[in-house]
Amino acid sequence: MFRNLIASSAAKSPWLFHINAGSCNGCDIELVALLTPRYDVERLGFKLAGTPRHADIVVVTGPVTAQSKDRVLRTISQVPEPRVIVTLGSCPCSGNVFKGSYSVVGPLDKYVPVDVAIAGCAPKPEAIIHGLAMATQILKEKKKGAKA
Amino acid sequence: MINWWILFYILIFPGFLFCLVAAFLLSGIDRKLVARMQKRIGPPILQNFYDFMKLMGKETIIPHEANRAVFLAAPVVGLLALVTVVLFIPIYRFSAFGGIADVVVILYLLTVPAVALIVGGAASGSPYAGVGISREMVAVLSYELPLVMVLLAIGKKVGLALGENAVTFSMANIAAYQNLFGPLIAKWSMIPAALAMLLVIPCEVGCHPFDVAEAETEICEGPLVEYSGAPLGIFKLNYYLKMFVMTALFTALFLGGRGTGYIALDALVFFLCCVCVTAVSMSLVRAVTARLKVEQVFKFYWTVVAGLALISLVLAWFGL
Repeated sequence: MFRNLIASSAAKSPWLFHINAGSCNGCDIELVALLTPRYDVERLGFKLAGTPRHADIVVVTGPVTAQSKDRVLRTISQVPEPRVIVTLGSCPCSGNVFKGSYSVVGPLDKYVPVDVAIAGCAPKPEAIIHGLAMATQILKEKKKGAKA
Repeated sequence: MINWWILFYILIFPGFLFCLVAAFLLSGIDRKLVARMQKRIGPPILQNFYDFMKLMGKETIIPHEANRAVFLAAPVVGLLALVTVVLFIPIYRFSAFGGIADVVVILYLLTVPAVALIVGGAASGSPYAGVGISREMVAVLSYELPLVMVLLAIGKKVGLALGENAVTFSMANIAAYQNLFGPLIAKWSMIPAALAMLLVIPCEVGCHPFDVAEAETEICEGPLVEYSGAPLGIFKLNYYLKMFVMTALFTALFLGGRGTGYIALDALVFFLCCVCVTAVSMSLVRAVTARLKVEQVFKFYWTVVAGLALISLVLAWFGL
């Protein structure tokens, strides 16, 4: 009984931790826009967490620069299981216009398994909500899988 | 021979079960109210319950530098202290435990969750927690003075009226006084004390304008920075419980009265009063303000709030 309750609660209360891996700040603004009255993702239980230890979903923006790579990986490894990694914007999933730059070592999935990739430059808030909703379902699946 | 009623009190009615249900509902209603005030739809009322259940199922990471035993015990100690406070708060004419000086007991028990937060943060060994606990200590210092003055003012007022000619430290006496003479908030000399108490609640609970210790945007939630999984869930539960305990204390101190005579109905009315107090003292304030700096909090409490409490104390001393 508790197992099902915990798994369904995991999907209902996803806390986000946002890492900027050299982003231009466009996607970051779109992410924060989700918390405004117009989109209000808090109605789905989303909350921005202040520290990676509290997070369930890690949202990475930016093309993963050489400087930020180690920090991103260290931060992701501090997030307790079950966790879901979401890339926001085109940069972390392909490198976008920064591809081939001497300072860009992305895409992110070279280093960690990415669960959801939301493409767009910057993605529309609706697309981000869709991606995050998919992430909550993956979170629930992971929770069920870990217990079984 | 165990007295089974005591077990019932501790585990079910004013104790654990009632407390947890009330705390989850109250904090859920608070979140919903804040969202509506900001023109948002807001999370479901049970959101905090989902958060808690989710945290119960998460991995618990204990940092290398942490003191394992203290790190894990701190949230539980805070939880036990808060549930114990509820046992001492009378619900109209019903009170699980009573005594001659239970106001003093409540006062001491109320500092335990704050101390648990400080100790737990210190045990985690994180510099962010270090900043957080120093701020938490300042917050405790700020609200303790007005809180004690409010309780003294009420004690003097009730003590004089009941003919003891001394400050009473008994919640039972305070409940009995309100049973006879109506709620204390209706006495004009007690209105400044009630205002002071309304302002003490958000700081004691640690909610928005006064959440200097857990400022998630500047010091990563302060003492909670290294907590994850079940211990974090229990700390969150402490936060919801503090909300219920403080509003319940306000209701018992200022909004008492004759009651209906039926315990279930009394508890319901009591809870509705708690919801109203939450809406006024926490949701409204939280929805319209930004976080203060720690020295601003200290100054505000030792001047404005303590001043309000002092007015009531002086009035009560002159027998008004």
